[in-house]
Amino acid sequence: MADFSRESMLDMFIYEMNQLVEQLEQLIIQGEQGYSMDDINEIFRIMHTIKGSAAMMLYDNVSKTAHSAEDLFFFLREENPQNVDYSTLTDLVLECVDFIKNELAKIEASENSDGNPTDIIARVKAFLAQLKGEAPADAPPAKSEKKTAQASTSTKTDSAGQIEAKGTHYNAKIFFEEGCEMESVRAFTLLQNIKDAITDVVTIPEDVVADGSEEIIKKEGFQISFFSEKTYDEISDLIDQTVYLKGFELSSGDLKNYKVVLFFEEGCEMENVRAYTVIHNLQGYCTNIKHEPEDIIDEAATELIRKNGFKFSFSTDKNYEEVSKDLCNTVFLKAIDIEEISSEEEEEKQEENELKKDIQTVSETVSVQGDNVGDNTVRQAPPVKTQLAQKTEKSPQAAAPSAAAQKKAAPTQHMISVNIGKLDQLLNLMGELVIAEAMTTQNPDLEGLDLENFNKSARQLRKIINDVQDTVMSMRMVSLSTTFFKMNRIVRDMCKNLGKDVQLEVVGEETEVDKNIIEHLSDPLMHIIRNSVDHGIEMPDERKAIGKPEKGTVLLEARNAGGEVIIIVKDDGQGLDTQKIFNKAKENGLLKKPENEYTEREIHQFIFHPGLSTNDQVTNYSGRGVGMDVVMNNIETVGGTISVESEKGEGTTNILKIPLTLAIVEGMLIKMGGAKYTIPISSIQETFKAKQDQVFKDPDGNEMLTLRGDVYNIVRLYDFFGAKPEVTNIEEGVLIMLENEGQHVCLFVDELIGEQQVVVKTMPGYINRVKGISGCTLLGNGDISLIIDVGGFFDK
Amino acid sequence: MAMENEQDEIVRETKEDTTKDRYLTFEIDNEEYGVDISNVIEIITMSAITWVPETPDFLKGVINLRGSIVPVIDARLRFKKPEKEYDSLTCIIVVEYENYTVGVIVDTVNEVMFIPEDKISLPPNAKLKYQNKFIKSIGKVGKDVQLLLDVDKFLFLD
Repeated sequence: MADFSRESMLDMFIYEMNQLVEQLEQLIIQGEQGYSMDDINEIFRIMHTIKGSAAMMLYDNVSKTAHSAEDLFFFLREENPQNVDYSTLTDLVLECVDFIKNELAKIEASENSDGNPTDIIARVKAFLAQLKGEAPADAPPAKSEKKTAQASTSTKTDSAGQIEAKGTHYNAKIFFEEGCEMESVRAFTLLQNIKDAITDVVTIPEDVVADGSEEIIKKEGFQISFFSEKTYDEISDLIDQTVYLKGFELSSGDLKNYKVVLFFEEGCEMENVRAYTVIHNLQGYCTNIKHEPEDIIDEAATELIRKNGFKFSFSTDKNYEEVSKDLCNTVFLKAIDIEEISSEEEEEKQEENELKKDIQTVSETVSVQGDNVGDNTVRQAPPVKTQLAQKTEKSPQAAAPSAAAQKKAAPTQHMISVNIGKLDQLLNLMGELVIAEAMTTQNPDLEGLDLENFNKSARQLRKIINDVQDTVMSMRMVSLSTTFFKMNRIVRDMCKNLGKDVQLEVVGEETEVDKNIIEHLSDPLMHIIRNSVDHGIEMPDERKAIGKPEKGTVLLEARNAGGEVIIIVKDDGQGLDTQKIFNKAKENGLLKKPENEYTEREIHQFIFHPGLSTNDQVTNYSGRGVGMDVVMNNIETVGGTISVESEKGEGTTNILKIPLTLAIVEGMLIKMGGAKYTIPISSIQETFKAKQDQVFKDPDGNEMLTLRGDVYNIVRLYDFFGAKPEVTNIEEGVLIMLENEGQHVCLFVDELIGEQQVVVKTMPGYINRVKGISGCTLLGNGDISLIIDVGGFFDK
Repeated sequence: MAMENEQDEIVRETKEDTTKDRYLTFEIDNEEYGVDISNVIEIITMSAITWVPETPDFLKGVINLRGSIVPVIDARLRFKKPEKEYDSLTCIIVVEYENYTVGVIVDTVNEVMFIPEDKISLPPNAKLKYQNKFIKSIGKVGKDVQLLLDVDKFLFLD
């Protein structure tokens, strides 16, 4: 049972996270030139949500990474510092995003999320410290030193209210390198080194030189708690000087006691498990945790928690704001009451310190309105400086993030998320319905009957089915924007690595394509864009020399054209080297006709052959000769086509034609040799009967035909397929003019049957790909009709 | 949940029991062959076949099996025996092998036979005739001899 509930939660988690990460990536890339306040707020909000969700699912590494990034943006938001190195910032945050993505991929593949974020966190912290103008380069990039400086933000902010005569309270845990030996002596030396700076020292083990202490230090690290007037960074520097130091954790601030009563939303179920999660999260940074009911795993606890709320108390050095922020992240939180209990020696401050905040659930209206959610979340962590002022006033904002965190994955209030499997099933059923309708209304039993009323009803039925079908199809349509914006990242990364200056222009990203197709688009587009940036666009100085603007442009455009979507990737680079491609093609023995017969356009299409790369140098990105053929394969899987046009010195244009949807096509049913075939209407230009005197043969026996002054090739379908013909006289059959990429051919078939919507089924895998056949479909009477792939007639 | 799983287990177990050492026998050109019943999905009567271009001769085309498209092989042609007109006895054995579902057209289907492992021997080494290559082993039931089909080779050998 427990497993089951986790599964569905996990699904939701992965879905949400993927969306957030995508959103985040877009924002970061857009913001590289300088973040607007809105961007910063948004990034902060997303990081915050990721942190919360990950913590709830117990993925600590993800949660910690998000936390460090959140800190960074918190600072940017609050202090609005000038002269921020946005490029480094973007690199850093993208690394965080990559880490999270990577972990998500692992989680999705049911592997353990075992990535270690300490390195990246340390670097984020270092960058933050640099921004704040303290101790720069304290943890230089890629230094593998382990440092989980939990209190980097809190030291400064806390200190205002808490510095007393003896300074701030610190806890440090120090680890020595394995095998360095004599840990106790080293610990003693360390104490001696820092003893001038610190007071009230308590260590674990108490007596460092006693027998057995060495073992403890080896295993659990050397723990010191002390007071010092020095800042966090000064202390950290002091400890850092220790010889054979493997790593250390340093935290500051006094331990504070909190008492919390927490209520979950009604009907959220499994209150005890949720309570357990809360406690588990606290264990990361709190001690002395007590909760009531004591045994939360027990079923009876659920009832108690539902009735009385979940009560617990703990001690931590975090301040009230941090604690409340963390707790408010709890999922299905209805209300929470956090109280800080002062320790005895601070009795005089107790009254002032008494913190009580009643937090109310955000009403439904708030939580479903995207805009409000955003606002609330942004306000949720009021600056610590104002803490005293609002200690006793109610702070409904603080509750917002919890509810907001759950709801905000859905971009607007009208969206629901549906399992893609169900949509697929709906589509399949839709297909069956279309067939069943044809079976009924074209039933052979009805032939020759005069059925006026039946026909009326049948028409009505067909109309409704058509509407339903349109709706089902539109449900599966996804805009290309996500796929397109992913390309921003690729261009950006490549520019950084290759030292080029390229901007990606995106046009028509709102164009919608079937979900199944979009999945096949991302890889090909990535390859093409890599090629454009790597091979196409020249280095800035080269470009300047030949009078082009230094900044190269790659245009990514999508638009609807009939039943297809056309995607164009165009760069203003150096264009394809026709001669080079031709030579390569010759080397690889790809030439099929005399050399001088190849047009430039034909030569360019060779780049789609496997193993043909004109780049002599293998780079990180391309030049291995795989790529364009992969592109070709991917595009062909979804029934699309790709072609390339290029002018030397002017640039290259890749044109992808993708069908809007895979599943249902408008087809023309034709008959040939006793079998019925379906030709997609979108490729048919016209149909006509030919006269014998229009037709002639060239010396090679190729049949041709003149029509309105133009000459067209004739393809006899039975010849092409090697089938037994029924009609061979050109005047008895029908000619169908087919168009593909600007070329035309006339297909000779026995007769036309009629137009019909057909549900495309793939050919069984056992049968190898047949040239000229793209799939098959079931007709109303249960017969199978093969669907003709018009492209097959053109690449003989 | 747990209950369902248990039931699943039971079903699987019984299924395994019923298919072990059992062979569906069929006739081609008066010769009796057997195929491991765990490969067999169902037996259907002859139905309309749609011819597919550019395929080997023995691949007769595709049929519509309740909405799914299934390729069919004529076993006679596969064994390079003379083609025979389909009649009322002609059957299609639908076999599933490594995620491929394929129909096999046979002259007639006989029975399901139990052949224990110790009654099965390898075919003689000498490759006398071409059809040998599709035969995995030979089962003996009383005086009769069953040629047991190697489904993998039958479907995929060029």
